[in-house]
Order: sequence, then structure tokens, then C-alpha cells
Amino acid sequence: MSALTLLTRGESIAFLILALVALGSTYKMVTSRLITHAALFMALSFTAVAGVFLLLEAEFVAAIQILIYTGAITTMILFAIMLSGLAEIRKDRETRGPLWMKSDPLVLVVGGIFAAFMCYIYAAANLPEAITPESLPTVKAIGSALFTKYVIPFEVASILLLIAMVGAIILTAKEAE
Amino acid sequence: MSLPIYFPLGLGALLFGIGLWGALTRTNAVRILMFIEIMLNGVNLNLVTFNRYYWAQTPESASLASIFTLFVMTVAAAEAAVGLAIILSISRTRGTVEVDKFTMLKG
Repeated sequence: MSALTLLTRGESIAFLILALVALGSTYKMVTSRLITHAALFMALSFTAVAGVFLLLEAEFVAAIQILIYTGAITTMILFAIMLSGLAEIRKDRETRGPLWMKSDPLVLVVGGIFAAFMCYIYAAANLPEAITPESLPTVKAIGSALFTKYVIPFEVASILLLIAMVGAIILTAKEAE
Repeated sequence: MSLPIYFPLGLGALLFGIGLWGALTRTNAVRILMFIEIMLNGVNLNLVTFNRYYWAQTPESASLASIFTLFVMTVAAAEAAVGLAIILSISRTRGTVEVDKFTMLKG
């Protein structure tokens, strides 16, 4: 067995493991009773998708995925759940509603139907053969493009983050009597 | 790239489908917010996959997906921050986070 076939097989096996972890944790996110468990499974799903990004040779995206999604957003949601002091926010697993809404395997069925539909569309589109990339995204190229050609969207994004921060503080701050 | 393109595309579509189903059927507002993040993640995966398989010709075009994904993640973070703030303030006044109990606007 040549080195290339070994590499090929390793790539597919690594992808299958990562995809199984991502799908399993997303499924557990839907079905877990406690919302803190759902948040932790969400972090696991994000980390597995970061591994898929690494397989696709997008190291920068994998790094910011870990930093923003696994680090920032999960922590923010966990803090909001735990620090709110409201028992209602932790309670979950609604008892009302029709049975099909609460059915657990139906989640995978609906997701699978959606994915099969999308794959049917992709197959009908006759996607061409994958090219051999002449260059991979380097952090240097990303940084120089971000600060020259895309500097205005970059600044708009930073203003958006600033406005979101101010808005979140205004919304959650207790009003001064 | 030996991995068939349908594998990562299918994973992205599955994540999007599960997230969509979860966001539509759950009633806890925090959980709905989490499923929206999962959906955005599936879309990012699609974007990076197409860029990697068909568009990585020059250093600039190879890094386009990374730049666009950075903006998607920025908007997702801002949306999560404001969404959680709204949920916290509405739960303080109404005492619940179940979205089907927010019927103040009902005529």
C-alpha cells in the first residue's frame, strides 16, 4: 500500500470520526434535558467542525472557530444561564405541544431528509472535479487582504461589535432608581 | 483532495437541517439561540468547502472564504450577545423564557 492511499484513507477516516462526533453532539443538544448539557454539547459540536476545517486546510477558520464559537459564544451562553438566577431559564423539556414535536429520532429523520435533498441538488448540478489548489490560505494573505481590500467591511464589523456590546449592556443593566 | 466534496457538504446540510428543526420545535429561547448558531456553523462549513475545492487558485482567492467566514462569525457573536441580553431582560419582566408565552403583542 503506497503512502498516498494510506493518506487518502486516513483523511476519510478522520473526516468520518469528526462528522460522527459533530452529528452525535448536535443530536444530544436537541435531546438533552438540561440546557447546560445542551450548551456543552454545542461546544463539542463546534470543536468537531473546527477539526473538519483543519481537514479542509483552512487553519485560520479553525482557529477563529475555536476562539469565537467554542470560547466566546459557549461561555457567554453558559454565563447567561447560570448567572441569571432565574430557575425558569434552566428548566426545559416542555411538556406541552404535540408528540411529534418532542420525538427524538424525528430530529435525525428531518435533518437527513434535508441533507438528502441538498445532496440531490448538488448531484444534479454536476459539480466539476476538484481542482488541485495552487495556494492555500495563509494567515499572511488573509491579514493583508483584510487590511487593504476589505478594510471598510472590517471596520464596519468592528463598529457592529461595539454597538452590540453597548446594546447588550443597556438591555441588561438594572435601571437606576 | 481525495475526500469527495459531498461529504463535507452533506455534513453542513445535516447540521443546518438539525439546527433548523431544533430552532422551530423547541420553545426555550436560549436553546433556539443555540440552534441558530449551529445553523450558521453549517453554512460556514459549506462556504469553506466550496472555496477549498473550486476557488483556491491565487493566495487572495484562497483566503476569500476565511475572510467571509470571519464576518459571518462576527455577526453571529453580535447576534448572540444582543439576543441573550433581550432574553435576560424579557425574562426579568415576564418571568419566563418560553417563547410561546410571549403574547403581549397579540391583538
